[in-house]
Amino acid sequence: MKISLRDITIDYDHLRAIDNLSLEFNAGEIHAIVGENGAGKSSLMSVLYGLNLNYSGKIIFNDNEVFWSSPRDAIQHGIGMVHQHFMLIDELTVLENIILGYEPDDALGFINFEKIQPEINALLKLYDINMNLNELVMNLSVAQRQMVEIIKLLYRNAKVLILDEPTAVLTPNETEMFFKTLRNFRLEKKIIILITHKIDEVMVISDHVSILRNGKLINSSKLKQTTKIKIEEQIVGKKLPKLNIKRGIIERKKVLEVESLKISTRFSHNQPIDLFIQKGEIIGIAGVSGNGQNELIEAILGVRKVLGGSIKYLQEDITYKSTRHRRIKGISFIPQDRRKDGLAIKSKVWENAININLNDKKFSIGPFLKKKSIKNYANQLINEFSIKVDSPNSSVITMSGGNMQKLVVARELSNNFPLIIIENPTWGIDVGSIAFIHQKILDMKARGAAILLVSNELDEIDVLADSALVMYEGKISNRIPKDIKFRENIASKMLSGIHFK
Amino acid sequence: MQSKSFLKIFRPTIEIFYAFFSIFILIFLLLYLADANFSLAFKGFVNSSVGGRNNAYLFSTFSKMALISGMAIAALVAFRGGLFNIGGEGQLVVGGFACAFTGLLVSDFGFIGIIISIISGMLAGATWALISGFLTIYMGVPLLVGSLLLNYPARFITSYLVNHPFRDIQSGLPQTFLLPKNVWLPYFPNTRLDLGILIIFLVYVICLIIFYNTKHGYYSKNMGHSLSYVKLSGLPTKKIVFKTLALSGAIAGIVGSIAVLGIHHRFTDGMLVQPLYAWTGIIAALLVNLNLWFIPLAGFFFAAIYTGAAGMERIAQVPKEIATVIQAVIILFVVGKLGSLSNLSSNKGVKDD
Repeated sequence: MKISLRDITIDYDHLRAIDNLSLEFNAGEIHAIVGENGAGKSSLMSVLYGLNLNYSGKIIFNDNEVFWSSPRDAIQHGIGMVHQHFMLIDELTVLENIILGYEPDDALGFINFEKIQPEINALLKLYDINMNLNELVMNLSVAQRQMVEIIKLLYRNAKVLILDEPTAVLTPNETEMFFKTLRNFRLEKKIIILITHKIDEVMVISDHVSILRNGKLINSSKLKQTTKIKIEEQIVGKKLPKLNIKRGIIERKKVLEVESLKISTRFSHNQPIDLFIQKGEIIGIAGVSGNGQNELIEAILGVRKVLGGSIKYLQEDITYKSTRHRRIKGISFIPQDRRKDGLAIKSKVWENAININLNDKKFSIGPFLKKKSIKNYANQLINEFSIKVDSPNSSVITMSGGNMQKLVVARELSNNFPLIIIENPTWGIDVGSIAFIHQKILDMKARGAAILLVSNELDEIDVLADSALVMYEGKISNRIPKDIKFRENIASKMLSGIHFK
Repeated sequence: MQSKSFLKIFRPTIEIFYAFFSIFILIFLLLYLADANFSLAFKGFVNSSVGGRNNAYLFSTFSKMALISGMAIAALVAFRGGLFNIGGEGQLVVGGFACAFTGLLVSDFGFIGIIISIISGMLAGATWALISGFLTIYMGVPLLVGSLLLNYPARFITSYLVNHPFRDIQSGLPQTFLLPKNVWLPYFPNTRLDLGILIIFLVYVICLIIFYNTKHGYYSKNMGHSLSYVKLSGLPTKKIVFKTLALSGAIAGIVGSIAVLGIHHRFTDGMLVQPLYAWTGIIAALLVNLNLWFIPLAGFFFAAIYTGAAGMERIAQVPKEIATVIQAVIILFVVGKLGSLSNLSSNKGVKDD
């Protein structure tokens, strides 16, 4: 079995997304496709699974030229994709989700669950997947949900599995389990196409790697014939700058002080929370997402109810102050979900270049906007943070994820506020943007900002933080100092959880 | 490959042809059922929407257009901020009554009286809208529900007021006394079109300025696009909500005032409810995809359809019910077509506002 793309070209209005690209995918191979955001990975895949019909070129599947009229058509011919955002219904069971849309019903429209359950169980056994079919999807972890999406494709008899950033939501442990399953697919001669940003994982799991840049295929070769450094350079198109880590001075001046804080969350039995951040210091909060990090940030920002304790910002008690008050006083915030919390993505770039500083005389007089100077300011940010966008008048929604994130970072850091709260700043963005954003965060530290960095990526905390705390089920650990065993210490607390302190 | 390129080229043409064909058949069937003369009906439709002696019908379309556009702006102002204020009707009625009532009190002041009456209509409309905002923010009543439910008290309270305490008993109808002529909105020279349309135009221009050049317009737009972003950014959410609702309600109040001072010269029970101005306004706002620039066009379209259908009834003896169904068919057709067009254009990233 083999599927090939021949001379694929995709043109959007005035943009060539894919330029005369040919690729081959073989059975029993894990084929990684890597590239920066906007390199054309998604466009290419959308052709393969029948979403994009406006392309020129050919798809050859088992020596026949094929044309899918829709994703449903593609899946009927054995090609399925798992998206980054899952398409599951929380209120249904795993089994119901799996068969949804392809129900094995009889002439009267009744579904024979008794008959289908053993069939799916056999599938699970074949690939050594552990899953309770009668559990409600809402009770599953993210990793399990992802597995449900994959089982869905297996049930529909997919021979080609396209996986879009599958490990972005997984912990190191879960990733390992996931790779085990992928290897089982490989044994069963499936074609596995893995779209990813994480080069380390490409090195571990893939057999073949193809690098895309600006819609062109830069290189496609067996993994053995290339190296990590080569791949990275091919992705970016130049050598990556090394992070310039200025250690700076940490002053013994507490910018943020959280004392015996109790927040209304499902973890409230594990509180209170204590922590402080000093001037010029980056405190990392590690832990698997969903262990109360988000709730802590919301409490600090004043959008979640505080039940007790206090939050002090530069000696001022802000526990019960409004979000507006806190932000104006000098708290910057870079949220994880840039599309929902960080930007108004349907608004224009210039409208997103300012928010809390709109009252600045530079940007408004009385009730009126000074549009021109806001646009100039936006232009300034675009240049300074090398954001790729047509103009300040473009809609944010037209930008790639990495550039959206750069816009958020640019807006929040340019205020030069004393306290910066950052939540997974590099989630799902490309290598080049990650390096850039990391450097900007370090620069802010060198300028004396106090930074709270919540991250699910151990690497990120390892590179940036001066010391770290681990959150587990709402509980927060003692400070873990940055020493030789920094990573190990964090990792062990992440796993042991309850036993720390 | 072959079938693909064939589809690509001919699909839009076939679609449009098909749509025209089906609407034509539908209307023909309806007219056939009603036993009406097709060409006479068509003539009646066109003549009474844009024709008439001395363009009289065109002016009546304009006068309707002012009211519908006004209500469309009122709805749009709120919708743009993500506030689903569908209580335009209540705000309109309350504004209309307040204006009629004040008009009677200040009728001696002439021009100043007109201004005072309109302002009181605005205040009443804004207050009514603010009540639903208050219920949403402090009581947790969803705005959609609160604003809708407030339509009923508005209607029945004013109904009570004109049926009992403020009724012009002589007239025999549930209505207030006729306003003295010096507080009527003046007509354009040699026409029966009052100056209300100018006032709505002024509102339109002011709203354009607010939308695109003020802090409030900026806040409100972003709030409509992402509430959580606005909240987390520390923008003054409550203030934006109340301001937006007050503006929306005040505009509805102005529309009510214009209907009173320009057209009816008194407040009659149900006069602002029956013609469905508020609901038509909401449809018009949605039709143009909340793009304020196109509101006058949408307003004219709906007004013309209404007056045209009425003309069909008058001239071709098409029964009123069938005329209304034809009206609905045309609206659905246009809404469907424009809807798909605007979807296409937003995909291409064309200016969204």
